[in-house]
Amino acid sequence: MTLHSSRPDARTDLLHGTLDMLILRTLQWGPQHGYAIGQTIRAQSSDVLQVEAGSLYPALQRLAKKGWVTAKWAQTEANQRAKFYRLTPEGKKQLLREESRWNELVSAIGRVMKAALAPGTEE
Amino acid sequence: MSFIAWLKGLQRKRLDDDDFDAEIQAHLAIAAAEKQADGADPRSAQLESLKDFGNVTLTTEAARRVWTPWWIDALHDQLSDVRYAIRALARNPVFALTVVGVLTLGIGLNAAVFTMLKSMALSPIAGVDGSARLAVIFGETSGGRGVALSYADYQYLRDHDRAFSGLFGTSAFKPTFGRGRGARPVWGELVTGNYFQILGVRAARGRTLLPSDEIAPGRHPVVVISDGLWRRDFGADPEIVGKTLELNNFPLTIIGVADPAFHGTTVVYDVEVYISVMMAPDLGFKFGSQQTTPSAILSDRRASVFYPQGYLRPGTTLASAASQTSVLWTELSRDRPLADAAQQLRVVPFWQTPNGAPTVLLPTLIVLTAMGLLVLTIACANIAGLVLVRAVSRRGEIALRLALGATRTRIVRLLIVENLVLAVPGSLLGVLLARRTIPILVGYVEQLAAPESVFFNVGVDSLVIGFAVLVACGSALVFGFIPALQASQVDLVSVINEDASPRGAARGRLRAALVVAQVAVSLLLLVGAGLATRSVEAARRAHPGFDASHLTAITLEVRQNAYDDSQGRIFYRRLLDAARADVGIESATLAEFTPMGFLDTPSRPIAIEGYEPRRGEDLSFMANTIGSDYFRTLRIPLMAGREFADRDDEAGTPVAMVNHTLAQRFWGGAASAIGKRVRDRFGVWRTVVGVAADVKYARIDEAPRPYLYLPFLQSYRSAMTLHTRGAAPVNVLVDQARARVAGLDPDLPIVHARPMAEAMRGAFMLFDLTAAMLFVFGVTGMALAAMGLYGLVSYIVKQSTHEIGIRMALGAPRLSVVRRFLARGLRLGGIGATIGIVAALGVGRLLGRALFGVSATDPISFTRALGLVLGVVIVATIIPAWRAARTNPLSALRHQ
Repeated sequence: MTLHSSRPDARTDLLHGTLDMLILRTLQWGPQHGYAIGQTIRAQSSDVLQVEAGSLYPALQRLAKKGWVTAKWAQTEANQRAKFYRLTPEGKKQLLREESRWNELVSAIGRVMKAALAPGTEE
Repeated sequence: MSFIAWLKGLQRKRLDDDDFDAEIQAHLAIAAAEKQADGADPRSAQLESLKDFGNVTLTTEAARRVWTPWWIDALHDQLSDVRYAIRALARNPVFALTVVGVLTLGIGLNAAVFTMLKSMALSPIAGVDGSARLAVIFGETSGGRGVALSYADYQYLRDHDRAFSGLFGTSAFKPTFGRGRGARPVWGELVTGNYFQILGVRAARGRTLLPSDEIAPGRHPVVVISDGLWRRDFGADPEIVGKTLELNNFPLTIIGVADPAFHGTTVVYDVEVYISVMMAPDLGFKFGSQQTTPSAILSDRRASVFYPQGYLRPGTTLASAASQTSVLWTELSRDRPLADAAQQLRVVPFWQTPNGAPTVLLPTLIVLTAMGLLVLTIACANIAGLVLVRAVSRRGEIALRLALGATRTRIVRLLIVENLVLAVPGSLLGVLLARRTIPILVGYVEQLAAPESVFFNVGVDSLVIGFAVLVACGSALVFGFIPALQASQVDLVSVINEDASPRGAARGRLRAALVVAQVAVSLLLLVGAGLATRSVEAARRAHPGFDASHLTAITLEVRQNAYDDSQGRIFYRRLLDAARADVGIESATLAEFTPMGFLDTPSRPIAIEGYEPRRGEDLSFMANTIGSDYFRTLRIPLMAGREFADRDDEAGTPVAMVNHTLAQRFWGGAASAIGKRVRDRFGVWRTVVGVAADVKYARIDEAPRPYLYLPFLQSYRSAMTLHTRGAAPVNVLVDQARARVAGLDPDLPIVHARPMAEAMRGAFMLFDLTAAMLFVFGVTGMALAAMGLYGLVSYIVKQSTHEIGIRMALGAPRLSVVRRFLARGLRLGGIGATIGIVAALGVGRLLGRALFGVSATDPISFTRALGLVLGVVIVATIIPAWRAARTNPLSALRHQ
């Protein structure tokens, strides 16, 4: 993950980055409001990832600041007012970048774990 | 991109609070609706969704932070550090006040010296922004003497030069303002028409001089006056424009009053009138020209009028400007060949103007700046010592912070912020101190320069404040950083075990280094102060070649009461007769210049019969026009021949006298000079009738130089000084002479009437000033160093109370304990003194120019300084050691 000079703590950066990626991914299917984004991530991770509102909304602000998403007030299907976030072309590119980086990371960690496991698998 | 667009951009970069709040409300509503759809009742669905959401305030805060720039975050941290630092310092006010006091002293001295330096080099012309960027053109003879250029040369350079964005010329002069009894000399500048435009100086009233005031000689009888003259002599008359004033009895119409901030470009002198150079011949200035009509004088290439100067075009360097002007100079010399013209042109920054005050004063100021920085070094070492001692007592607090997870960087940062909190008031108070001391300094210089009116551009401006803050913060980092780094290295275990003994040899080493540094630097300062004091003593003792005691100097300018040449001759004849006839007067004479006037008097080119000058040899020497009995009155020994006598008048053979150095150089000795002939380059041949011993003509430290004397009766001057000698106290003689002048013409103003010793004061001014300043620096530095040394050494001793207790308990006699500490103190003092002496030997070379009659390795100055420093070290060691040794061993052991 990138280490932004403004945020010296690399650990939070990793978390931020991952959450950002998940949000962008969710928005790939079309504009969504905040509550729905949270619900989608939760549903698609089979209730494993529960995104708290306290992280979700600052993350959305962060993405909006970077210009990866835009927001617009609209009506939901149930005719309620909500703020819908939409992926920008720049956001799409970022999502692709994040994805490939994520895949690299996962496969790298996977290789390490397998290598560590191999000599110890006696039983 | 406009400023408004930028502002809008800034506004957009903030969280829209209402919008965010609405978004959260929408979230809660959707969540609640969903829960209701799942069968919950509205009330509990609302509560549930609120619970699921978590802390709304924290979320809003986090969202807001996304939009805050990182530096605001950092600033927020710093501010809390500052708040904490202030609280911590308030708990220890003695420490805080001591540090601020020491800093104030150190910064104040430096700011004062910096202000002087600024007035000479950085911003030499008051009321003109960027005046330090002015560049000056002057001619240089093969002998390296700087000469002013003629008006014709100036015109050629102005019209053809492309390196400068504009060239103006200015020549300082000292005309008589007014007429009759109230007349007085003022400083003025003869300037070109573009002078005010290039400098960017406006008129507060009326108008400034313009290029249209520089058309034809004698055609522009107008004058711009200074704000000071307008207020003092015209009572701030609002209808001043169009009134008339008289300079050298020539009426001029006042066309304007210059900006109050502007005091002319002649650094140090307070210029009060500005006149077009076209009017110079009408006011009696010939610039050494043999011509008589104004237009001939201004087109004479031999007339030395002024130094052309101006701002270089952007991107032009001094070097390229110099090469461009040299090309022009070669063209000019080819077009109108001139044998004795300057050999080459030089282009220098303004502060290097030949004979300018900055050129004369800068070496001294640089020495003073260096000394000021030394004082500051001592102040810093002093504070570092205090910070170090304080850090020990704060070990508990620091250990606690470390134990609670603070990083070392965080703690170092906190300690540095604490020092900066001390540095800011220190620098501001320092500037205030400088503001108080500069007028004292300027007053001192004014007193030395009296009765000349001087002006220094010594206002405390943003440049000075910036300097003070920079120096203060710089020193805060220096004195704060190393101790802070050490303080953050607290060993948790030892603190928790309440082991109070100072930890680590490192801190001891740092303290020892501070002692050594303070000893070394204060020794350096004291040697400097000692050398300067001794040179003043030597300069005062040195014999200037004449006897100044019981000798008066009454300066007159008979044109101030409208005497023409023949009236003037008659007046001086009668004055001399009257003075000589006075009771108790041994002898009396007249002279154009008094010796030891500090600045060189004008040199005049001469020719020597039978001597063929080498190519480019500079045969210009200073000369004086004197009356009969001059050498008897001043008690200058005659080496050969006779003095001028009354028969050496217009009807007699033209005669001259020379000094020993001139006779030696051209005829091989005093005796063989008699009967030889010399002349002003274009004057008549004069027979040498006498040779006089050398005198210090301008300064006590000048090298012997050739000098020429002309008889007053054959070379009339309207401004002369009457010298009288008698046995009576000199003040009585001055009053007597003054009465004689008044008796002959009660309306003739007396320019100066003073004892000769007082007239010579200018020659010692620089020595006096340097010595006085160095003395102040030496005393301040020594006081600071003594304080710091005492504090540090006694602290080291106090830390060893435990050790002393053990030694005493084991039966060591008190004296041996004291001796032990003394040896330790002396060892540190010895190391510091050695370093200081080596440094002083090196620095003495730099002082060389400011020294007189004492070598830079003068053993007396070194011994005195060494004795003083080591004395302080011994006292600072013995007292605390003795006190520690007197305590009861048991209580010393128990005491921690």
